[in-house]
Amino acid sequence: MKINVVSKILEANERIAAVNRKLFDTTGTLVLNIMSAPGAGKTTLLGKTIEMLKGSLRLGVIEGDIQGTYDAEQIGKHGVPVVQINTGGACHLDASMISEALEGMDLNEVDVLIIENVGNLVCPAEFNVGEHMKVMLLSLSEGHDKPLKYPLMFQESKALVVNKLDLAPYVDADPEKIKKDALSLNPGLKIFEVSCKTGEGLEVWTDWLKETHAGHIKNS
Amino acid sequence: MHEASIALSILDIAKKQCEEAGYSTIQSIVVDIGGASGILPDALLMAFDIVKLDTPAHDATLVINEIPIGGRCDDCSRDFTTDDSFVLTCPHCGGREFKLTTGRELDIKEIEVD
Repeated sequence: MKINVVSKILEANERIAAVNRKLFDTTGTLVLNIMSAPGAGKTTLLGKTIEMLKGSLRLGVIEGDIQGTYDAEQIGKHGVPVVQINTGGACHLDASMISEALEGMDLNEVDVLIIENVGNLVCPAEFNVGEHMKVMLLSLSEGHDKPLKYPLMFQESKALVVNKLDLAPYVDADPEKIKKDALSLNPGLKIFEVSCKTGEGLEVWTDWLKETHAGHIKNS
Repeated sequence: MHEASIALSILDIAKKQCEEAGYSTIQSIVVDIGGASGILPDALLMAFDIVKLDTPAHDATLVINEIPIGGRCDDCSRDFTTDDSFVLTCPHCGGREFKLTTGRELDIKEIEVD
C-alpha cells in the first residue's frame, strides 16, 4: 500500500529547534550559533569576547566538537558556564544535541549564549538549532576564495568575523576580496575585521554584541 | 556531507508512518532532494543502504527525485532553472535580485508499505 506523506525530512530537528528557541525567549537569552572551519579561532575569539564583556554581559557557551573537552576547559578558565557536546563523529550540531546540553545550563544566568559549532564550512549551515542568528568566523589565512566556494555559510549568517588580520603581511589573501564577495552573497552581512592575537578590531565586535543584545531585549 | 543524518531522519519518519498505518515492512520511500539542499543523491543512497539494515525498511528502495534549482528574476522577470548547486546571478540577465522557487527541498513524498 502507498502512503502519501508530506513531511520535511528535517521536521524533527525543526520541532526541537522551536522548543529550544522558546526556552531562549523565556529567559531573554540571545543565542548565537558560531560556525567556521577548524582552526579559524572560534575558541580564542570566544575567550577574548568573554573577557571584554565581563561586567556588561553574562555569557554562556556550548562547545561542539567531534571529540574531547579541550575547548570547554579553555572556556571554563574564563569563569563562565560552559557545556561540552561531543558529536562522536557527526559533522554538525543539531537541535536535539543543544536541547540536551541546555539541561546543564541555567539560562536565567546567561544574557548571551554562544554555541560553538563543529569546525566545518558545509554542514552546520543546514541545521537550525533554535539560535537567533548564525555568525561566521573566517581566518584570513584560509584564503579569500572561501565566500564563493562555501556560499551557503555566508548567506545564512548575520555577521562575519574575519580573524587573523595580523597575518596579512605573510599570506596572499585579500581581506577586501573577502568582504566584496561575502557582501555580494549576502548584502546585509555585518562584517568585522579582527585579530585575536593583537586585539585589533575586537572592540567593534563586542560593541556590536552589546547593541545586538540590547535590541534583542527591547524587541522581546 | 551529512547524508547519514538525513538517511536516519528519512528512516525514522518512514518507520513511524508505517507503524501508524498498521503495516510491518517498508518497500520504498520517495523523496524530493533539491539541488541546493547540500545533499548528494549518491551519498544519500549509500547511507540509506547502511542505516536500513535490521529495520522494517531492510529491503526498501529509496527513490530520489532530484529537484533542480529554479527561480524568478526580479530584474528581467524571467524564470530560470539550473543544474548548478548554487546561483549567484540570474542566468539570463546577470541580475542579483531574484528569488529561488525550488532547490532547497528535503521532503518525503511517498512511502510504500506492506
